[in-house]
Amino acid sequence: MISSGVLERPGWWRSAGIALGLGFAAAPALILIGPLFTVGAGTGFGAGFPDAVGRSLLVAAGAALLSLAVGLPAGLVTSLYQFPLRRPLVGVLALPLLVPSFLWAIGLARLRVEAGLARDGLLSGASGCVIAFAALGIPLVVYATMAAARGITQSQLDGVRLATGESAVLRYTARNVLPAAVLAAVLAGVLSLSDPGPGQILGYSGVATQILVSFSALYDFDLAARQCLALGALVLVVVAPLAWWSADRLSAQLFGRDVRGAKLYRTLPARIVGPFLLAGIVVLTTVLPLAGHAWPATRRLMLSRAFAEVTRTAGNTLLYAVLAAAIAVLCGVILAICAGRDQRRQRLLLTALLVLLALPPALGALGVVQAASLAPQELDFLFRGRFTVGAVLALRFLPVATILLLRSTSSSSPSWAAAAAVHGVGLARYLRRVLVPLLTPVATVAALLVALLATAEVGTVLLVQPPGEPSLPVAIFTVMANAPESLVATLCLIYIGGAAIILSLAMAALSVENG
Amino acid sequence: MTPLVELREVSRSFGANCVFGGVSLVIQPLENLALVGPSGCGKSTLLRLIAGLDPPDAGEVWISGGRASSAAQVLVPPHQRRLAMVFQDLALWPNLSPLDNVALGLSGTSMANRERARRSMESLELCGIGALARRKLSSLSGGQLQRVALARALAVQPKLLLLDEPFAALDLTVKAALYEQIRRLSAKERITLVMVTHDPMEATALCSHGAVLERGTIQERGEFSRLLTNPLSETLRAFVKQLPPRGRTD
Repeated sequence: MISSGVLERPGWWRSAGIALGLGFAAAPALILIGPLFTVGAGTGFGAGFPDAVGRSLLVAAGAALLSLAVGLPAGLVTSLYQFPLRRPLVGVLALPLLVPSFLWAIGLARLRVEAGLARDGLLSGASGCVIAFAALGIPLVVYATMAAARGITQSQLDGVRLATGESAVLRYTARNVLPAAVLAAVLAGVLSLSDPGPGQILGYSGVATQILVSFSALYDFDLAARQCLALGALVLVVVAPLAWWSADRLSAQLFGRDVRGAKLYRTLPARIVGPFLLAGIVVLTTVLPLAGHAWPATRRLMLSRAFAEVTRTAGNTLLYAVLAAAIAVLCGVILAICAGRDQRRQRLLLTALLVLLALPPALGALGVVQAASLAPQELDFLFRGRFTVGAVLALRFLPVATILLLRSTSSSSPSWAAAAAVHGVGLARYLRRVLVPLLTPVATVAALLVALLATAEVGTVLLVQPPGEPSLPVAIFTVMANAPESLVATLCLIYIGGAAIILSLAMAALSVENG
Repeated sequence: MTPLVELREVSRSFGANCVFGGVSLVIQPLENLALVGPSGCGKSTLLRLIAGLDPPDAGEVWISGGRASSAAQVLVPPHQRRLAMVFQDLALWPNLSPLDNVALGLSGTSMANRERARRSMESLELCGIGALARRKLSSLSGGQLQRVALARALAVQPKLLLLDEPFAALDLTVKAALYEQIRRLSAKERITLVMVTHDPMEATALCSHGAVLERGTIQERGEFSRLLTNPLSETLRAFVKQLPPRGRTD
């Protein structure tokens, strides 16, 4: 019988488990590097690649700055103060994160047309892309700020409040949460580099579009791989040092034993500013693009055709999402248990997870395509089937599931396993009776989140889907150029409605967990 | 008489930080011992070595005349040492009811499920909380939770009960009731107590003997009546100052 005590003891299996898990997640990208060094491998990146990189960097920097400028103050107010409608507004903020970015871009593009705004105005080109990507970045910064602020205790805040007043509380909290907020903003910017959707729709295509075109239109896999690796290297240079720098404080804030934050304070200015600030963000990130979809849909709602499309793709969409969620949560649980409470190991794992999340998703997808071309035909079920899509999506969102689960395992009491060891409760029974039931609510939320994020991921599915097996967002992405605008609008509204329902379920599960 | 616990020159370090080195200590059956000392001196670590949750870096731990741990090795696993432990944070499994906590705590025995349920209920009743057996842990008070932890520990019928500052968060009234209950149960069930505490009242209320762990070694050890009349260590001198006059003479 293996003692439950092993869960709280050091052991070689911890490092081995983490190395195996991260190796599994990084394997597709590593496969892609090999052919670069073979004799006769090409070297160029294609005409226009440097310009595309420049355009992408401009949009990424703009999105990151806008996200930080709006998200940090909103996050601070939300972390510290109680105000009317705080809870529902914080929930609605998550919606843009769970819907493909190109859907918001379509909404913004339609809004520009319907409202008769200038073709080269704010809602198109680089500025349109910045707004579309900031719709994802702002909520990310708000949530990162809120998570980091939980590391500040009630007594710390009370001390500052008593000594110097409310403005000092804001400054003190801002100093503490800044690394997390900056990291989230940079992550939002970096993620925009590898997202082809908004650029293609708003007429400012960047490096991600170049990769997609090289692979899907020019059928030049090697060129796409080289472009993707170059983008990956660029991301590594930006994100790896930042992730390492912020991981120390982040891991203490996220994985500390006492993660119960300070109580929300009530002040009159916060009661006024808070709702306006969050409602303003919701309008910018959600209501405006939704209005763009609703406008053509009010003229004609093509429900029957839209539902036919939804029915055709529902099976794949669900399968990809369920597979991604199951694999990511399973690997996340293993990684979280392997990381244990050792702060150095937690910091290393967090850094690696942040870097993995920031890497272009096309790296993993093209790696799998490469592996499929090298593997014998008997392994096609592994590399070319629908399972492959789910697995690649799971690896893509493994960091999200792992961070959530790590937070849960590291805030549990170390004495639980010790008590189980004293009483002779074996590891298997302890896992079954205690640890797994305790992790279930968080694992459920992680699974729902991964399922939604995986569903919203278009680039990966486009690259690895078996022929004729698209998910709903990929189907929308494919038909958006040729289908009637009201059909696209109806499809987008159905998708956003579905995401909103699942988000409500996740919020309900979270409030049950929090009692 | 075979000692119940014998520590022979045990040492423990965490990285470069040596918590204690060459500690030897003998605990005879029914010799209730309070382990006292300043914060961070290694009292809880010593308790974990006795329980077999950690091995010593050097030295040996003997339980009931058998070698249980040696350098970097746990030879007898915790659940085969005939001991139980009440942790500082109680370590109750929060998703289980009091009854299930106690029943799962009997996993190390070879009892059938029905027998396990009966023993668990008996143990909860012994601790005066039989009526709360199926309640949620979150609905219980601090004192009731202490009793659940105690019931889980007593259900395995241990010879040795290790208490790691379990009463720190309780008010005086609840503490007094629990002291009385533990004293009664340890006498009735013939259980030896080894308790880590900072509280002189608690130490003298439950234990006849004391050992002072200071600066990495056992500084003093013996009956409290003798130790408190002529304290040599800083810890015991501080203890004497805190005790009421009657407590000192007792």
